[in-house]
Order: sequence, then C-alpha cells, then structure tokens
Amino acid sequence: MRDAGGGGNGFTMAEVMVAAGAREIADGQVVVVGIGIPLVSAVLAKRTHAPNMTLLLELGVVDSDPRQLGVGNADARIWERATAFTSTLDVMGTVLHRGLVDIGFLGALEVDPYGNMNSTEVPLGGGRIRRFGGSGGGNDMASLARRTIIIARHEPRKICATLYHNTSPGHLEGGDARRRAGLPGGGPWRVITDKGVFGFHPETRRMVPLSLHPGITAEAFREATGFPLEVPPDLPVTPAPTTAQLKLIREEIDPGRAFTGA
Amino acid sequence: MEAAQESKIATLAGAAALVPDGAHVALGGFAIARNAMAFARELIRQGRRGLTISQGICGLESDLLAGAGAVERVIYGGGSLDKFGLLICINRLIEQRQIVAEAYSGLALTFKFLAGALGLPFMPIRSIRASDVLARAREVAPDQVGEVTCPFTGEPLLVLRALAPDVAVLQVQEADALGNARIYGPRWDNWEAARAARGVIVIAEEIVPTDAIRDWPEMTLIPGHRVQAVVPLAYGAHPTALYHWYDYDAEHLQEYAAAAQDPASLPRYLDRYVFGARDHEAYLERVGGRDRLARLATGEEIGYAPGGEVRAPR
Repeated sequence: MRDAGGGGNGFTMAEVMVAAGAREIADGQVVVVGIGIPLVSAVLAKRTHAPNMTLLLELGVVDSDPRQLGVGNADARIWERATAFTSTLDVMGTVLHRGLVDIGFLGALEVDPYGNMNSTEVPLGGGRIRRFGGSGGGNDMASLARRTIIIARHEPRKICATLYHNTSPGHLEGGDARRRAGLPGGGPWRVITDKGVFGFHPETRRMVPLSLHPGITAEAFREATGFPLEVPPDLPVTPAPTTAQLKLIREEIDPGRAFTGA
Repeated sequence: MEAAQESKIATLAGAAALVPDGAHVALGGFAIARNAMAFARELIRQGRRGLTISQGICGLESDLLAGAGAVERVIYGGGSLDKFGLLICINRLIEQRQIVAEAYSGLALTFKFLAGALGLPFMPIRSIRASDVLARAREVAPDQVGEVTCPFTGEPLLVLRALAPDVAVLQVQEADALGNARIYGPRWDNWEAARAARGVIVIAEEIVPTDAIRDWPEMTLIPGHRVQAVVPLAYGAHPTALYHWYDYDAEHLQEYAAAAQDPASLPRYLDRYVFGARDHEAYLERVGGRDRLARLATGEEIGYAPGGEVRAPR
C-alpha cells in the first residue's frame, strides 16, 4: 500500500486501518482476534485507551501482551505475557459460545454487501476452484460475537456482490434474516478496508460507507467496490493515526513492519 | 514387594505400526505448533495409505501426510502454515478431488471431539448454522449433522455427531513411561481429541520419572491409563515449534513450502527428508544436525527463540 500521508514521513494505509480498528475497541471489552491487522489493532488499543480489554486467541491464549507479533496464531511470540493458557473449548466455547465476547475481529478474503464472508475457496473457471484457509475460528466469531469487525482488501473482486462460499455469516440477506436464522451474535459492525470504513444500515443491514481514508476519492472508493454503492459527497475522512499511535506501532508493536509496512 | 507398573515406552517405528492403513487418526498440531512431525514422517516411510485425519486446525504434519498420498479424508475446522503458506498439499488435493474435505469450524471440531470424549452421541452448537460450512457438511457428511428440539425450551438446535477417532497422536513436551503427559502452552483441542479417541500415542520430547509426575499431578493433561504408547524422541516436532523447548525452523518451513508448491519437487523433498533418512536421527542430521537445531532453543522465560523476529515471506 502506498504512503497515504505523502512526503515520506507520512503513514501507510495499513496504519490507518490499524488505528481505525483500535478505535472500535472500548476499554473493558472482551475481544477475540485473528492474526494480522486485527491483532495489531487490538494490541494498539490495549496500550492506549483500552488497558482493561481482554484479548483472546482461539487456540487458548488469554490476555497476552506480546512484544513481537510473530507469523500467526501458532507463534509463541503472540502468546507472551498471557495470564492464562487454556484451550479452544475455553476461549471459543465457554466465552464466545456462551455469549461473552464483545468483538470478533477477523480478516476475510471476500465480503458481500451484508458482511457475509468467504475464507474457504474461490472459483477459477472451468469448474476448478482454489482453496484457502477455511473457517478456523472465523465462522464461530461471526456467528457468536456481539459485534464482528472485518478487515478486507478493497477491490471489486473482494468487496463483491455475491460470494462463492459463505464461510462466516454476516447479516445474511439483510433485514432481520440473521435473527430469524437463529444466530445469537449481533453480526458485522464495521468493515475496514484499505480505502475506507463501512458500517451497516440499521434496517436493511446493507453496507454503507462511513468514512474514506486520507487521499481516497469517492470515485476511487466506488470503483473499488464490486456492487453499486452510493458514496455521499460529504463523507468524513477516516482520522489519521496520531503521532503517539504511530510511535507505538513503529517502535513497539510492529517494528519489523510485518503487518503495517506497505 | 511392590509390583511395578508396566512401561509403555515404544519406538517410533513400533508406535507408527499401531496405525493401520485406513485408520482414523486425530492429530494434535495447530498450524506450525507442536505437530507430530517425526510420527508423520514415519507413517510415510511405512507406506501408510487411506488415512482419515481429524484435527481442529490442520498444519504441517497433516499437510505432509497428504502430500505423500497417505490421506483420503480430512475432517477439520480449517488450517494453514501460518505466514509460511496455506495447507499447500491438502488444498491442492482437495482442488483435484483426491481428498474429501469434511470441513467445519474450529469450535465445531472441538465440540465433535467433546461429544466423543463424553460418550454422548452428539453435541448442540450455535455457530456454523446459516452458512455454506453447514451446507457443505450436509453434502459431504449427511450423517454428521442434524437437528433436535430442546425438550426444555422448544428451541431448535443444530447438532453435530460425536467423533471417535481410532487413535489420537499427540506431540508433548514431557511424559513418563506410563504415558502421563504434560503439555506446556495453550492446548487447543488436545484434551478433547485425546479423550474422544480409542487410543492415544504420545510423542514426548523428554521422559520424566513417574515420581516427578506424582509430585505435580495437576500438570498431567493426559492420564497414562488412556495412553497406548509413549515414544521418547528429541526434536520430534521439528520443523514446527515446541513451546519452551524449541522454536519453529523458519528456513526449513520455507524449504518445505517451496517444495510443496510444485508437485514435481515434492517427491525430491520426501526423498531427501523422509525416505532418504532411514530414521529420525538421520533426519536430524539431514536438517543440519544438533548444532543447527540448538539455535532454535527457546529463551528461559519467553518460550520462543530470542534474538529478533523470525520472519516469514509474505
């Protein structure tokens, strides 16, 4: 991703996304995170405005405070300084399934207008498919958390009209479809892309743009979206990461720039 | 005189021989953490075929087994090699319809193991409904999902059938000769999978005296009476990580990922590291010997190798 701030000492789009994600986490909340930007956002929130947030990893890591972000959930770097090592049954069962998780924060390959997510497979044509990681804890988080925050790349094929495979349910067909289907969690709350932030219409439950990242025009935002979308001319700009946030991200949280560099 | 309890110590080859062609094996790794790699390599050397694998989050041991042609069906919640790649061989074989993918979610697999562990026929679950995960599971495994009405509230409940693997294979840090096994770090679904299985094979990095187990019995995750065989084996998880013992081997994981991407080069990887290394000791020499392995040693308090981030390619 390009230098969104311009002039070389600006910030990257990934940093804008990290700050936007952190902003959605309130102090005291219980958050299950996936790897990548969700993890960076959660750690940033914990080191700034949300010290009493409880960070959970699906394999059974409770309230870690990592110094390095590692290469994935299985990397002990992100388990560091945990207060408890438990299990999937504990974190995803007795906390998430029980209804005690405020935010499920995850990435997705494809997202449709109602926040339904695909992370399983995409068609290649001629009946062939390409397989990806599958649900993991994604479906459980999307089904059961009070709110879901989704990270996705903003391209027409990724923010798209229809999914090839609905791995993790959003608002399904919209309206009260989710409640009728018996899904306990509240469903998607925000979709944070490299171009802006979406929320969801309170009745139709369809995605609506809330802000455009610095330097992104309404036209560019619309063109990158794979379904017809009204982008009001007076949309706010997503707040840029503050100097203090940037210092934390670059010097402490992700100094190797594994997730926030480009 | 006190009668001695019977040792369950077995060789790697002997333990692998307990798993016949076509067996249903629950594997205990998670992506690139605590995978029973040496055990998987030995199953491949012995030419095992037609296995069903069940695993909450599949990782390197299941991918290697699949790549070697040992796997027919994967019952799983998803998986990857973390930043080193996706499940390269499993995914390719699913795409080519050579492996049947019975895919759920991570929690769904845990619940299926839990039902098996409790001897119950099924477990209700509130996730995976209204998704293609459920739709696909109904197609691939129609006898594994169903609905019941709660007798107390009238609520309709989605239920998952219990899983009962023939054997669970767990890579652990410490065990005694009786099979009492300790796991350090998070345990994902190992507790449930071990208890769901009819037998358990433990691959232990270190054997500790039974007296040490009796001194700290609360540390025992898998009690010995559930265990069939214990294999003492240093670096049994290599190139994956064993928390507080050694880190993952980033260089080797990159070598695997590159080889696995290309079906033509995978046989060369297998020749070099599996068939060409007659046993685990020979394998350890092939990957650089003890001196190189010592560099993966973890810090006393942190549980991973100190000295900077081990970076994977994006």
